[in-house]
Amino acid sequence: MTDPILALSNRFPDAVLETGDASGVPSVTVASDHLLDVGRFLRDELGFDLLSNLTVVDQLKLPPVQKTADARFVGVYHLRSVARDGELLQVKTPLPGGDNPVAPSVTGIWPGANWHEREAYDLFGVRYEGHPDLRRILMPDDWPGHPLRKDMPLGGERVPFSVTWDDDEFKMLGRQIMQPEQTPQAIPKGMDSRHMVVNMGPQHPSTHGVLRLIVELDGERIVNVEPDIGYLHSGFEKQGEHVRYKDFVYYTDRMDYVSAMQNNLSYVLAVEQLLGIEAPPRAQGIRVIMAELQRIAAHLVWLATHALDISGTGHALLMYAFREREEILDLFEMACGARLTTSYMRIGGVSDDLPPAFIPRLVEFLDYMDARLDEYRAMLEKNPLWRKRLEGIGPLSKKDAIAMGVTGPMLRGSGVAYDLRRARPYCGYDQYEFDIPTSDLGDSYGRYLVRMAEMKQSVRILRQAAAMLPEGDYLLDDPKIVPPKRDLLDQSMEALIHHFKLYTEGVTPGPGEVYRAIEAPKGEMGFYIVSDGSAHPYRLRIRTPSFANLQSIAMLSKGHLFSDLVVIIGTIDIVLGDVDR
Amino acid sequence: MGFESKLPETGVITTTLEQVVNWSRKNSIWPLLFGLACCAIEMITTGTARHDIARFGSELFRASPRQADLMIVAGRVSNKMAPVIKRLYDEMAEPKWVIAMGICASAGGPFNNYAIVQGVDKIIPVDVYVPGCPPRPEALLYALTMLQKKIETEHLRDHNAPKQTELGVLLPDTSDLPPLPGA
Repeated sequence: MTDPILALSNRFPDAVLETGDASGVPSVTVASDHLLDVGRFLRDELGFDLLSNLTVVDQLKLPPVQKTADARFVGVYHLRSVARDGELLQVKTPLPGGDNPVAPSVTGIWPGANWHEREAYDLFGVRYEGHPDLRRILMPDDWPGHPLRKDMPLGGERVPFSVTWDDDEFKMLGRQIMQPEQTPQAIPKGMDSRHMVVNMGPQHPSTHGVLRLIVELDGERIVNVEPDIGYLHSGFEKQGEHVRYKDFVYYTDRMDYVSAMQNNLSYVLAVEQLLGIEAPPRAQGIRVIMAELQRIAAHLVWLATHALDISGTGHALLMYAFREREEILDLFEMACGARLTTSYMRIGGVSDDLPPAFIPRLVEFLDYMDARLDEYRAMLEKNPLWRKRLEGIGPLSKKDAIAMGVTGPMLRGSGVAYDLRRARPYCGYDQYEFDIPTSDLGDSYGRYLVRMAEMKQSVRILRQAAAMLPEGDYLLDDPKIVPPKRDLLDQSMEALIHHFKLYTEGVTPGPGEVYRAIEAPKGEMGFYIVSDGSAHPYRLRIRTPSFANLQSIAMLSKGHLFSDLVVIIGTIDIVLGDVDR
Repeated sequence: MGFESKLPETGVITTTLEQVVNWSRKNSIWPLLFGLACCAIEMITTGTARHDIARFGSELFRASPRQADLMIVAGRVSNKMAPVIKRLYDEMAEPKWVIAMGICASAGGPFNNYAIVQGVDKIIPVDVYVPGCPPRPEALLYALTMLQKKIETEHLRDHNAPKQTELGVLLPDTSDLPPLPGA
């Protein structure tokens, strides 16, 4: 296998400005006028067919030594090769145009770049030349400015430290005090007003959150679907640049809120890679247990809502699936005291050791979970309604799935055996025996089968993890990164000093950057962090699976009946907190 | 049974209309079926078997605001979503109540930034605030019983006058208009 950077330098000696290494990932900087040629070469000849992540860094306040070229904005692309086990390459390109940057659009090479570029336009104001439909995606249309630029403030309100009931702000408490602004709605570009254009959401319950779809219909048939997202945009990335590394763990819970443990894990692994540390073996074992339990819980939420949307027996399945999910939440509660927003992972390990009763309870749970999964399958697969409504609905070919940047069960449902747990093992996933379920059907039924099989595989991993959980420390013993345990503070002055420094200054990784991704229940979830050596991330980008997967909805639903749209939303398995961030 | 054994032989009891109306209202509060973020998952959980919101007469989550009495604002309210929530609230028929579930709906929570409205009470009136991030299902059930207690004490005349004019904040001030030409 050739070294991609070497191959690039030989082929495009003028284009390559700089080569380097971003915390273990090869990184290359190319001139923006050569970006499209380089992109095509990378995709066609070197096999980088999956665009994982596309983002922009505003270098305005970055120390000069760390800057890439002289430009204010730098485009960052993370490419993967599915055939070569998700081999990662980082491509950076300085964008010309100063405060009003311009970049060539890579949508012609990787169609999945579409939404990523719209997001970069929305949040940074980068104009992508050649983009088919460049407009805002997350913020309201009338929003002034681009919030992620470094000269834009975080916003929000001043928090008063002392208040009395006589203060002005309480005068109108609990009363209707202002009319929110309303922007007029228009028929989206590309839709024909000769067809019927129907609005769905953002309140409609079948959209699994605050997703709004504008659907163009010819009779009952769907001609086009245009998702309008951003109704749950919460500014995670900007917020992350204003809190310390340790404190952002709590925010990650609230992105894909049905898989908090996986979000935690993805974030702490990225920071650990930036710091060059690794959690002790017991912590890694605990992390695998939590991550797999969370995968089952997240898939159960998917199954419950999917069945509720579709089938007459749906409501019973909602009750059953949530019954099992409650058992998992009880296990989480034993370990960390919280059900949903767990914040259990810490940089360097996990927050607490497992209580002694945990493993027996887990084994008890695994014993009946396997049988329960078969019960669900019997309930659904023997139901002709269920099969009729899923089979052949929302077809997605292997090639399209990769081109759109789709990952997770969606990709495996199209027959691609690509799973980051196997391709790029983390937390010791290489020690466990498990299969990667795939389906060649490529439709909603195939994806249903893949997710059911994944739950079974998670149970299998959990059995092994419970049996071989190593003894030892659950947190790294490094006083510069992990706060000392409480009992040490009474005995050691040094521990007290470390504790004080960690809580007043925080962890400070050296200058550098990292992109680290894991296999979350919905697909590849990654964090791209740029550190300027301070205690806050300089740039924190979150690559969420739902965002990339949802993009394929128009492709999946064209030509189907309007009522199938609900099936397709369910089969993509989105969580809007994950889409909008 | 308890109720029947206390009835006099004639089968007639006397009470006030207000009490009967409040009694029926408080025991069948139908929430609006919509959720925003993490809290919505706990709201769904409240409706499932272990917590069973049906014990309090509120299991009928209505998909149409016209049929709903209670809006549970479950999650953070973004600037883009705020007009939608206001509109849903306006579409609900009187009498209607609002529970702000969780710290984000109550006061913005950890998201004190450009994207999130710092509390849903900036756009609609709130009856019960539930602390927590997210609140446990038990906390939501407690909020529901608090709301029931509140409904018990309401008077029919409270729902008589339209709320908006009573507050005098939504109608524009017409007192200082300059005279029209020619008048």
